[in-house]
Amino acid sequence: MDTFEPIIVAFCCHYCAYTAADMAGSMRLHYPPNVKIVRVPCSGKVDAIHIMKAFEKGADGVYVAGCLEGDCHFKNGNVKASRRVKYIKELLDEIGIGGERVEMVTMSAGMGPQFAKTAIEMTEKIRKLGPNPVKDMAAKRRRAVGQG
Amino acid sequence: MSMPEKEHINNNNRVLVVGGGLGGIKAALDLAEADIDVVLIDKAPSIGGIMTQLDRTFPTNNCDLCTLSPHLAESSRTQHIDLKPLTTLTALSGTVGQFTATLTTKPRFIDLSKCTACGECFKQFPECVQFTPGLDHRAPTCMRYPQSTPYAFSIHIDQCKDIDALKNVCPTHAIFDTDSERSFSLEVGAVILAPGAELFDSNELSNYGKGMYPNVVTGLEYERILSASGPTGGILARPSDGNQPAKIAWIQCAGSRSQNKAALPYCSSVCCMYGLKEAIVTKERFRDDIETVIFYMDMRTFGKDYELYYQRAKKDFGVRFIRSRPHSIELDPNGEDLCITYVPEKGTEPKTETFDMAVLATGFRIQPELIELASSLGIDVNEYHFAQTDYFHPVETSRKGVYVCGLFESPKDIPETMVQGSAAACLASGDLNASKAISDQDDEEAFVPERDISGEEPRIGIFICDCGYNIGGVINVEDLARYAGSLPEVIVAEPVGHGCSKESLEKIQASIRANKLNRIVIGGCSPRTHENLFQDVIRKTGLNKYLVQMANIRDQVTWVHADQPVEAFNKAKDLIRMATASVALTRPLIEHALEMNNDVLVVGGGVSGMTSALTLADKGFKVYLVERDPDLGGVAKNIRKTIEGQDVGPFIQQLIERTTQHERIEVLTRSHIVDHYGMPGLFTTGLQIGPRMYYRKIQHGVTILATGALPNRPAKYLLDEHQAVMTQMDLDAFIKDNSDRVKAWEKLVMIQCVGSRVPENPNCSRVCCQAAIKNALEIQKINPGIKIIILYRDIRTYGFHEDYYRKAREQGIIFSRYDTDREPKVRESGDRVIVSFIDHVLEREVDVEADCLALSTGFVADEESTEDLSRIFHLPRTNDGYFLEEHIKLRPVDLPIPGFYVAGTAHAPKSIKESIAQAQAAAGRAFTMLTKKAINLGASVARVDGNKCAACLICVRACPFGVPFINADGYSEIDPAKCQGCGVCAAECPAKAIQLMRFEDDRIMAKLNGLLEEVI
Amino acid sequence: MITAERKPLEEIIEYVRPFGKILLVGCNECVTVCSAGGRKEVGLLSSALQMAFMKEGKMLEIKEMTLERQCDPEYVEELSGHINQVDAVLSMACGCGVQEIAQRYREKPVFPAVNTKFMGASERQGVWSERCQGCGNCLLGLTGGICPVARCSKRLLNGPCGGSTKGKCEINPEIDCAWQLIWDRLKALGQEERYSDIIPAKDWRPSRDGGPRKIIREDLAS
Repeated sequence: MDTFEPIIVAFCCHYCAYTAADMAGSMRLHYPPNVKIVRVPCSGKVDAIHIMKAFEKGADGVYVAGCLEGDCHFKNGNVKASRRVKYIKELLDEIGIGGERVEMVTMSAGMGPQFAKTAIEMTEKIRKLGPNPVKDMAAKRRRAVGQG
Repeated sequence: MSMPEKEHINNNNRVLVVGGGLGGIKAALDLAEADIDVVLIDKAPSIGGIMTQLDRTFPTNNCDLCTLSPHLAESSRTQHIDLKPLTTLTALSGTVGQFTATLTTKPRFIDLSKCTACGECFKQFPECVQFTPGLDHRAPTCMRYPQSTPYAFSIHIDQCKDIDALKNVCPTHAIFDTDSERSFSLEVGAVILAPGAELFDSNELSNYGKGMYPNVVTGLEYERILSASGPTGGILARPSDGNQPAKIAWIQCAGSRSQNKAALPYCSSVCCMYGLKEAIVTKERFRDDIETVIFYMDMRTFGKDYELYYQRAKKDFGVRFIRSRPHSIELDPNGEDLCITYVPEKGTEPKTETFDMAVLATGFRIQPELIELASSLGIDVNEYHFAQTDYFHPVETSRKGVYVCGLFESPKDIPETMVQGSAAACLASGDLNASKAISDQDDEEAFVPERDISGEEPRIGIFICDCGYNIGGVINVEDLARYAGSLPEVIVAEPVGHGCSKESLEKIQASIRANKLNRIVIGGCSPRTHENLFQDVIRKTGLNKYLVQMANIRDQVTWVHADQPVEAFNKAKDLIRMATASVALTRPLIEHALEMNNDVLVVGGGVSGMTSALTLADKGFKVYLVERDPDLGGVAKNIRKTIEGQDVGPFIQQLIERTTQHERIEVLTRSHIVDHYGMPGLFTTGLQIGPRMYYRKIQHGVTILATGALPNRPAKYLLDEHQAVMTQMDLDAFIKDNSDRVKAWEKLVMIQCVGSRVPENPNCSRVCCQAAIKNALEIQKINPGIKIIILYRDIRTYGFHEDYYRKAREQGIIFSRYDTDREPKVRESGDRVIVSFIDHVLEREVDVEADCLALSTGFVADEESTEDLSRIFHLPRTNDGYFLEEHIKLRPVDLPIPGFYVAGTAHAPKSIKESIAQAQAAAGRAFTMLTKKAINLGASVARVDGNKCAACLICVRACPFGVPFINADGYSEIDPAKCQGCGVCAAECPAKAIQLMRFEDDRIMAKLNGLLEEVI
Repeated sequence: MITAERKPLEEIIEYVRPFGKILLVGCNECVTVCSAGGRKEVGLLSSALQMAFMKEGKMLEIKEMTLERQCDPEYVEELSGHINQVDAVLSMACGCGVQEIAQRYREKPVFPAVNTKFMGASERQGVWSERCQGCGNCLLGLTGGICPVARCSKRLLNGPCGGSTKGKCEINPEIDCAWQLIWDRLKALGQEERYSDIIPAKDWRPSRDGGPRKIIREDLAS
């Protein structure tokens, strides 16, 4: 079997995490290509449904990246985001997808290396967890149908 | 598109900018931004100056074209700038406010309004078409660089034998041989000189074989070889045989810091950094395939965060450093290799090493035509022919109303050039007769009505940048475009080279018009830096500016996955697919505006703060100057004289008097900023004022941070433990107050870099070398018999300060180098101290009993106040606690939040002169914003669907700014003028009744669907 | 408002397991306000169910709808165009809504996705507390505006029990003693003397003694 390459969605707030990602770029820091960024104005804009839908559509991991606590450009959007992530973790645990597939992280705009580090760690973690069970089953079924 | 020829008659209400390099462009753009008309002339056929020939700039290693070309395109777009290439200033009569300039335009023999730069003339008659000599002669086009502005060729008529044949190859009949040199006069109110300088001609150095050995190149030529638009198309090939070199030497100070009659005595300030940059970029691209060696005398990385760059070159990239100025370069008898002979620092025997290529890091000098210009304008120059300015008026020449910025003032790097450009623009705007303080914005755009796209199916156009090597070097842009073209609703998908170049922007606009596109995707860089540009560009085609989406395939793909080209290509496909899916759902949006507050808040009452405050108050704006100490003056109060000999005291005194007496400046001392809210143009800041800490709110439109840095005082070398040990600043005061005691001293030792360039404070403090030499020379004057030893790591007397370093050595001051692993040691000996250090030539420990030990302790960031302010204002800082500007090279004064500017040592350590220039620049940048009447709030606001709203109050409670309310109709209402656009309400609404424009749920879902298409 | 809380997913999954296609219906009234069954919760539950079944290799088709109110037949009528295309209905409304659907669409199984809890008020964002039990005979005029029926664990009508300690209830120290609150409130109103008024034994007939209740306004009824 091929090594599993997870698909990871990173919702990044414009003011900190997205800027940190740009900085990781200009510093030419290497991180796994598995991470794909969706830009949002504030981590507090990330709707619980967006996270659920990402998993439903087959993402193996999702993280929401906001500003450091106390540094949110919009006062406390990051705190709200982090509560929502906790709620989604419980929901994912309940349906057996695994709450550890979703995380909240924070960083400042200047923390390019932190962005890369988070991307590496998240990719490693999801790689260990294996594919999103939803996707795995769908693939098995597809294979079964193909063979049948 | 051609520039409309603007003929103003008898109009002094504009500024003439001489020179279209970075400094000139910056000055012109700032003036234009403040609605002031500018005539920008350049002797070359297109603007851009030296920077357009560089491959990348330090310390971010960005490609220059990418950061510069938005500025270039902007300059040709802006209505206020009348660009006159091939034009020189030949005479200037009159006085400030009422100058008459005589300009001469050389013939181009091409009608700019017709030339499309198709290149036919060059293909068929290459000898007739003008080019820049040097390595450029094999360049793919004869234009200086592919993004040139104006985008047109020029003809070398003397070289042309058959003019009619040449004329006939031009498909647009743009070539006309009847063009002739024209002289004309122009009324202007002020003049800004930004003519640059030329590079030292290394052919004049016989010992390095330049001109004789093909593999000896200058730094600029090496940049051209590395450049994607250069003669080799970016392939690193050495000139003699086209092979990739395996070992390259950089020779610093080639023709600089030398008494050799052909050479320049001063330091050119930038060569160390560009040498490092070229070595790092080479290492980045070729890793262990190429060995890089830098020969240097002192590594002068004194700019903001530059020391870290030097350390990276050493530690991360394995660049080898040899501290020695090579004696000569000779040809290897067996071929084209080069033998470099030098004397190593530790030793006397010369050594020889063989290299495949040598790069001479040459500096700047003033060319004869500028000497002539200066004399025809009647402005003073220094002994090296650079424009002379007064220390406390860094951008003013000796002729009132004539300003200078950039290299013509002194050798300098890009950020300082940008600072001076903004400062000069700021001062020049004050000389105009009727300076329009506040203008209407009605005439801002030559208004193209917006096209109604309702009812149209999406017609998506995808334009993919290669950004030179930045994207094109990792993934195949053609293939990506082909893939993009296969996506649904995509009408066109094509590569556009440097998408932000003027040429590409016009190509994009043409494609939008021709294909009736109504949604645009740009595959390129970050929307953070370039979204505005692309929004403006599509708006000019009649599309609503919000119908564009950027896919950041550079910062998020090619820059970070260069080692995995296959995965990088796949990820680029993903990002393009996501953007395309999302753009299909974009809708035209309306922007909201509010009236702006035109008052100014300046934080910090030192030299920088007072200078910014006075500059803006003189322009008619109300300024609040906030200082936490009881008095104004800052750190500079403790400085007696500059190295050049100016008295600082009277200058500060006068500054304080003018500030406190100015009718439009309100000085608030003992005041601390405690809270802040609002938006650019409408800020409210809360202060606690005075000993009784009463609370006051100030409303202002812009904020200038000039909070300074702190004199460093590390507990080292018995400082504050022994009376003979003091800082350079203490010594400066001691000389003044105790000259009798100084007369009795026998020995004085100074230690440099105490508490700077160390892990706790990694950067160079920039001013200590000159401060040490200033004090040493001053003491020698009082006490000629004294023995002075200066222990240093690198002497960084950049620019003309080198003269003082040379003078100090000539006068017997001993300079002895120490390494960080063998720092000097100090112990007590009665009233004196004994300093032990390793003599780096003798390799032996030496003890010196000194009457005084002066420590060059430099600056540290004022962590406490920058930390507080960065939290209150939400501004980022560097790792060492200085405010982090928007762009380290091109926007050194602007902070990342619009309406915030930084000046002085709150930005990075700098001299008083440099602080003044930056303070004027900050005032100038603020002025560009203060000329506006209204602030644009953008369109990213939350909208409520009243039909879905359950009036549950969740948004009312969740909004961090308290904006939503339940209206009389019983549903939530959000005032777009107050909405800050965070989207928290949209994410919390249980009825899904709220959408944040530009980040609507369906667009976010479209991105996820695009990414995860076919995964399940 | 009527408050509710989503049922454990496991229970919901068991309800819908036999079906291939369901209609998931939210309500834009009380359950939206208490974040239990509005448009957003419908989306979340739908996604969670999809995944739970996909993980088992089973496909569940879910049609999402949110009605203005599930307790009014006119709104419930809006489901009529869709009801025949599904095997069952899962309602996120309170019990009223579930029953309204059951009554209107007799042949279609309908299941609750939330537990209807109580009539309550929002203390603050995300926190709701019980305030009313619909006893049919309001005493608030006698008790300083604080209901002993809904807020006293023992529904005592004449002062606290012996378990009231430092203003808290013996059932759960996080619950305020309703009679402490009543006393504090009467004091604030300067009506301490009312505390000694005896409230007669409550007539529970208007409550549940006569079976399910009905309200008829003759002037409005058609």
